[in-house]
Amino acid sequence: MQRLAAAVASRLVIAVPYVWLLVFFLIPFVIVFKISLSQTAIAMPPYVPTLGFSDGISGLFDGLKELSADNYIWLTEDSLYFNAYLSSVIIAGISTILTLMVGYPIAYGMARAPTTLRPILLMLVILPFWTSFLIRVYAWIGILKPEGLLNQLLLSLHLIDQPLIIMNTHTAIFIGIVYSYLPFMVLPLYSALEKMDYSLIEAAQDLGCRPSSAFWKITFPLSLPGVIAGCLLVFIPAVGEFVIPDLLGGSQTLMIGKTLWNEFFANRDWPVSSAVAVILLLLLVVPIMIFQQAQARAQEQGR
Amino acid sequence: MKSLGSIRRSFAPWADPASKPYISFESITKKFGDFIAVNDLSLVIYEREFFALLGASGCGKSTLLRMLAGFDEPTAGRIMLDGQDMRGIPPYRRPVNMMFQSYALFPHMTVEANIAFGLKQEGMPKPEIEKRVKEMLELVKLEQFSKRKPHQLSGGQRQRVALARSVAKRPKVLLLDEPLGALDKKLREETQFELMDLQQELGLTFVVVTHDQEEAMTMADRIAIMDKGKVIQVATPAEVYEAPASRFIADFVGTVNMFEGKVMARDGSSTTIDAGNGLSIRTDNGGDAATGNTVWYAVRPEKIRVSSKKPDDQSLNAAEGEVWDVAYLGDMTVYHVKLDDGRIVRTSLINSQRLTDDPLSWNDRAWVSFRPDAGVVLTK
Repeated sequence: MQRLAAAVASRLVIAVPYVWLLVFFLIPFVIVFKISLSQTAIAMPPYVPTLGFSDGISGLFDGLKELSADNYIWLTEDSLYFNAYLSSVIIAGISTILTLMVGYPIAYGMARAPTTLRPILLMLVILPFWTSFLIRVYAWIGILKPEGLLNQLLLSLHLIDQPLIIMNTHTAIFIGIVYSYLPFMVLPLYSALEKMDYSLIEAAQDLGCRPSSAFWKITFPLSLPGVIAGCLLVFIPAVGEFVIPDLLGGSQTLMIGKTLWNEFFANRDWPVSSAVAVILLLLLVVPIMIFQQAQARAQEQGR
Repeated sequence: MKSLGSIRRSFAPWADPASKPYISFESITKKFGDFIAVNDLSLVIYEREFFALLGASGCGKSTLLRMLAGFDEPTAGRIMLDGQDMRGIPPYRRPVNMMFQSYALFPHMTVEANIAFGLKQEGMPKPEIEKRVKEMLELVKLEQFSKRKPHQLSGGQRQRVALARSVAKRPKVLLLDEPLGALDKKLREETQFELMDLQQELGLTFVVVTHDQEEAMTMADRIAIMDKGKVIQVATPAEVYEAPASRFIADFVGTVNMFEGKVMARDGSSTTIDAGNGLSIRTDNGGDAATGNTVWYAVRPEKIRVSSKKPDDQSLNAAEGEVWDVAYLGDMTVYHVKLDDGRIVRTSLINSQRLTDDPLSWNDRAWVSFRPDAGVVLTK
């Protein structure tokens, strides 16, 4: 009897994350997917069919028959969407590489810092989260705009004669994304680097490796899990990013997050925006799953 | 003739004034902040020597090794290796290799790649690397494990990979930091002999750091005993054991009985010490003790005999007491005899025969006795 109770309890513990995923991920996804197969309508909610039980079971089946992939076909017909996806992936990709280049030295410095100093450095990395994300992005407008702090500083130092135009360019988006997502890059990198045994570097040097080549042959390969985790944590949200391109990138930047916003709020076309969201999800999840499977297989072969 | 000496009798460059030191530490001091890890230390090591740095943790032995490898620079003093001043030469340009205590095997590389690592840095041509790696794998008997990663090996196998990797480049000197520390006792004993054979085979100079005196005694030609950043004795294992320089060393290496007393008389080679409570010790090894001085007489347990009757031989030093503890260890039996004044004398008896005529047990009256040449007089 007791053993049975223990078995049930352990099942329950395992069930919690699954229930969580079901309720907060799978069900919303199914709803979004369903909407993406509907048609717009001037109604509340603004699409048909709504697929309810108000017309009984037969009504539900009639509704199901009305679902179609028209919206997905529509996405392929208008090059706007393809361009938006492409430019999102490119912008997110460049931003991720930039974040890695900025984040790696920070994480490395933290991991090599005296043990007493590390918690303080860790705090400093997390500190920006204590202010609203939106306010921090607005603050960048104040810094980057033509009459902003950065230009004032450079002008007063006579480094430039005319204000730099950074606002409403891709550069501003890169700055915004790198700044906002830096902690997501630094933390996994730090945890990977901190675990590393320093005697490995000494061993490499002892065997004739210069410090720079020891970094590329030992430190970097061993920090790869951290690099991958950090890059995914930055790349995935950056692809769908809406606030930063909207505030810093100006109107001419094409990113899928903004396109989605426009479809949803400006055009009130829920089905098309749902289709955009579903494609975005597939675009992100499928490559990651393939990658993870490849990694698992490689690891199994190593054993 | 009776003597103390090296077991490898043909090899004793330290006894030959004409031989040139291979490694010399000249007045080395190393400070970490206020802490003095190595204090004005001088030491020479000869080519092809198996040299052990022995001491408790924190005595500065590892720091000395790291300075030789180039990971730490001495605060003062000079390290010479084969006639070359090592100052300012980074670890990757020194002709020494180190076997790390943690082995420091590269976890993302196979056994083969680990061993080849140093050779690749050297820019050795590929076919030669392959040949050398194969040789090394044979040397440490790991041929069939070449494609494995370190985490797929046992502790003993990892130790061998670390060893193969550190000797693959044929360094002038191999440094070993607690090389057997992570192995269990049986494997450690086997590996000690393997290391000795390997050193002979390759003809390299080995410098090993250890806190295990048995390990140092087994493997080394000479041992430097360190304490608080200084070397307090450099000698062959037999000398360290039979003629320790101080009470600290006598106590650190093996087990010892120490009798404190006053020198009563010196007569030629014989010295008489009054060790109190009627125990008078005659010894042939008076050292530099002067009459009237307080000295310590150190004698090893296995050099003391224990018997139920007073020995007939008048030349022996003898004292009476009671058997306090008996421990049967198989190969030998350890007796603790409590003298009548309360002092405990430790003796050990090799069980060279299965049966004994004179069994002693708890609380039996017993005599302990030792020959005049059994122990040494220590003055510090």
